[in-house]
Amino acid sequence: MHIPDGYLSPKTCAALYVGAAPFWYVALRRVRKALHTRLVPLISLFAAFSFVIMMFNLPLPGGTTGHAVGIGLAAVVLGPWAAMLSVSIAIVIQALFFGDGGITAIGANCFNMAIVGALVAYAVYRILAGRAAIGSARRVMAAGLAGYAAINVSALLAAIEFGIQPLLYRDAAGAPLYCPYPLSIAIPAMMLGHLTIAGFAELTVSAGVVAFLQRSDPSLLKATAGGSVEIGEPAAGRNLRPLWVGLGALLAFTPLGILATGSAWGEWMARDFSNPALRREIAASSFHYAAPLRAPEGLARLSQVWTAPFARYAPPYVRSAAFGYLLSAMFGAGLILLVCLMVGRLFDRKEPAT
Amino acid sequence: MKLSARHGRGAFVPRTIEALYQAMERALDAEHSAASSGLLQRLDARVKVSGLFALILATALATRLWVIAAIFALAALLAALSRISIRLLASRVWIPALAFTGAIAVPALFLTPGDGLYRVPGLNWTVTAQGLTTAGYLLLRVETAATLALLLVVTTPWMQVLKALRVFRIPVVFVAILGMTSRYILLLLETAHEMFESRKSRSVGALHGAERRQMAVASAGVLLSRTFQLSGDVYLAMQARGFRGEVYLLDDFAMKRLDWLALAGFAALAAAAVWAGR
Amino acid sequence: MMLFETTHLTYRYDRLTAIEDLSISIAEGSRVALVGANGSGKSTLLRILDGLYFGQQGTVRFRGEELSEDRFGDDEFAFSFRRQVGLVFQNPEVQLFSPTVFDEVAFGPLQLRWPKSEVRKRVGETLERFGIAHLKDRVPHRLSGGEQKRVALASVLVLNPAVLLLDEPTAALDPRSQSQVIDLLVEWGGGAKSVITATHHLGDLADIADRCLVLDGGRVVAEGPPAEILRDAELLERTNLVHAHRHRHRSGELHSHPHVHSGEAEPGD
Repeated sequence: MHIPDGYLSPKTCAALYVGAAPFWYVALRRVRKALHTRLVPLISLFAAFSFVIMMFNLPLPGGTTGHAVGIGLAAVVLGPWAAMLSVSIAIVIQALFFGDGGITAIGANCFNMAIVGALVAYAVYRILAGRAAIGSARRVMAAGLAGYAAINVSALLAAIEFGIQPLLYRDAAGAPLYCPYPLSIAIPAMMLGHLTIAGFAELTVSAGVVAFLQRSDPSLLKATAGGSVEIGEPAAGRNLRPLWVGLGALLAFTPLGILATGSAWGEWMARDFSNPALRREIAASSFHYAAPLRAPEGLARLSQVWTAPFARYAPPYVRSAAFGYLLSAMFGAGLILLVCLMVGRLFDRKEPAT
Repeated sequence: MKLSARHGRGAFVPRTIEALYQAMERALDAEHSAASSGLLQRLDARVKVSGLFALILATALATRLWVIAAIFALAALLAALSRISIRLLASRVWIPALAFTGAIAVPALFLTPGDGLYRVPGLNWTVTAQGLTTAGYLLLRVETAATLALLLVVTTPWMQVLKALRVFRIPVVFVAILGMTSRYILLLLETAHEMFESRKSRSVGALHGAERRQMAVASAGVLLSRTFQLSGDVYLAMQARGFRGEVYLLDDFAMKRLDWLALAGFAALAAAAVWAGR
Repeated sequence: MMLFETTHLTYRYDRLTAIEDLSISIAEGSRVALVGANGSGKSTLLRILDGLYFGQQGTVRFRGEELSEDRFGDDEFAFSFRRQVGLVFQNPEVQLFSPTVFDEVAFGPLQLRWPKSEVRKRVGETLERFGIAHLKDRVPHRLSGGEQKRVALASVLVLNPAVLLLDEPTAALDPRSQSQVIDLLVEWGGGAKSVITATHHLGDLADIADRCLVLDGGRVVAEGPPAEILRDAELLERTNLVHAHRHRHRSGELHSHPHVHSGEAEPGD
């Protein structure tokens, strides 16, 4: 989701530089104190790792590019501040050497991927991991989900930054000067790719490497474990399959959850009352009492409270077809994951253990 | 460095690593950038950093297509005067940007509301004038900015770029880590490259899906581990010779007459571009 | 006052104890060899002596001053120490991170903030002395093994430290480069300079050291002049410094005895 030069107006870029600055400042202060310790080469190492990971990207028409970032892993090992610095550095090098992501957009890219990404990943990790032993499967899952959450929040931010450009910046003839895609296109375009492929990639990298570190160098995971947590022995031949199944189920059922709330939002509209078909249904389910032609005054007033903010703040995409595609994609991804796991299990059983 | 996912699955990752490694090596290679005696190579690093950045900023601020095109032409001219091959520019910047931004911008041709220009036969899609302009903005801005950034790193030894950043008060921690990261990227790519080479010569027959996945994850872990070991040692070695974070260069920056002229030139052009493009 | 003095030094890395309750002292102007197989702790000890690692227990003193992480936070102390003690790592690649050979050798003096003219002069002299002046504009990590080693040595010796620590100086070098390195060290040493070498190449011992400390499992298990240590076949075998494998004589007899492959010193001599 690198934002190249020219996709965001100078004002937006400047605003995001300003937004990023205080975080950079704090991060640098903290790291400066630890300049002579093992932390510094670790930061550089994860920056290098993140750099290489981010190079594997694919274009998402209507948005920018989709790729994993490595922010989940960095946040789990380095903590949020050093992770912020780490990924920021990777972004700067990419911008300078490969034109991947613009120079004027460095502030924006760092804000989305490095800063917000680090904070989200760290928060999710800490909440999900709790006080589990360092070598536990729970931490692996927490790391994976932390990465997944972070990358999607980053993508959403980027999408919003894009989506407002055509609203605000047009030339004399009405042509958008920067990103031409409104929210209704930018958000689905970005989220589609990140909720599925890029998100999975990030999840795999975070979970996989954390699992590896649990066995090879658990001390690296101590820094973010918080409080008195013992290292614990990683269970030999521990089966991560339940985690994947859980994740698949989560993905498959989440869209339904969103849809459910969506419908709760969407259908409690006062104007439903003027819809004849709906009125018949309401009557049918209300012992054939005819529904009033107009919404009762109280309800009308009440629904204003519900719908007015909804109309203003909820993105229009909630009711658009694109969002529907998005939901199906998530559902489909979850389904595919579950199917793969089942098939894999089937084949595993057939082969005798050596 | 953008890449296509269309090659054979097995070769995809090693090929990309190889390409990345070479590009990175060339980028950090002092021999390479100091070699030619073109215009930009002779300028003070501080002038280049500030001047080229000013032009990038002008590109972002411009609201007229022709202004951006003019800056692009200027960048191309600077490249020519600095004996930078078209091939390098095309392969590193122009073509990748075209491919990627192109893919992203093409839908804008049809989706931007405005005065219809051309209807694609067969489909019900219309290219609008505004869509064309917008796609033009996107593409030109990306190409121009990326070209200017490339000019900087190809004509300036990396150490000097870092030192120039220090001169512009970028914090020492940031610059130190930036410098170390570039070394580590090379290390990481080198190690990955070696691992792929040795794996190729050791493979005996195909692996099952689960085994292959396990190996992939294990390899990533081993790569990280090995690089971590090496990079830790590199840092220790630096400290052992007195490194405390600051960048020291043997040759101090010194402004010559050409540098002042260039600085004035950059400033004037950037200002003109901003004024004309407002 | 001793050059180095460790008291009950213990260094642990994760669950591994690399150095265990080590108490040794090294005098000024001595040439010491830390002898041990891989994993015996000799590399770790060198890094502790160079103030790069710090033990969890015990103390390390350099000319009476304690070496601790806090102490190295002080710029003045750090600079003074780095000026006096140099460490050459086993893997030259780890030490070569500058764009050119000239920059590499100049790195140390620049970090220690010598005047620029002084830096240029000394770097030029050192390059000549090590026979690598013709490589000065080359990229260090593309040189051959022997050349890299010489650059690594030059980059440390340019500072003319009073104490030189060497980690396996002849590792991975072809025989000619090996002897060149040994010659360089012999020539450089002597007088007030101190040299501490970590090695498992028994053949070099007599040339580079007057005193050997044999390490095994993070502890000192023997101490003495090279000749004495090399005579103790049982010790050498126990600490994995020699091996015994079978070979067939022309008569058809299968024979095995402990031996060392390189150098003239043979156990039992």
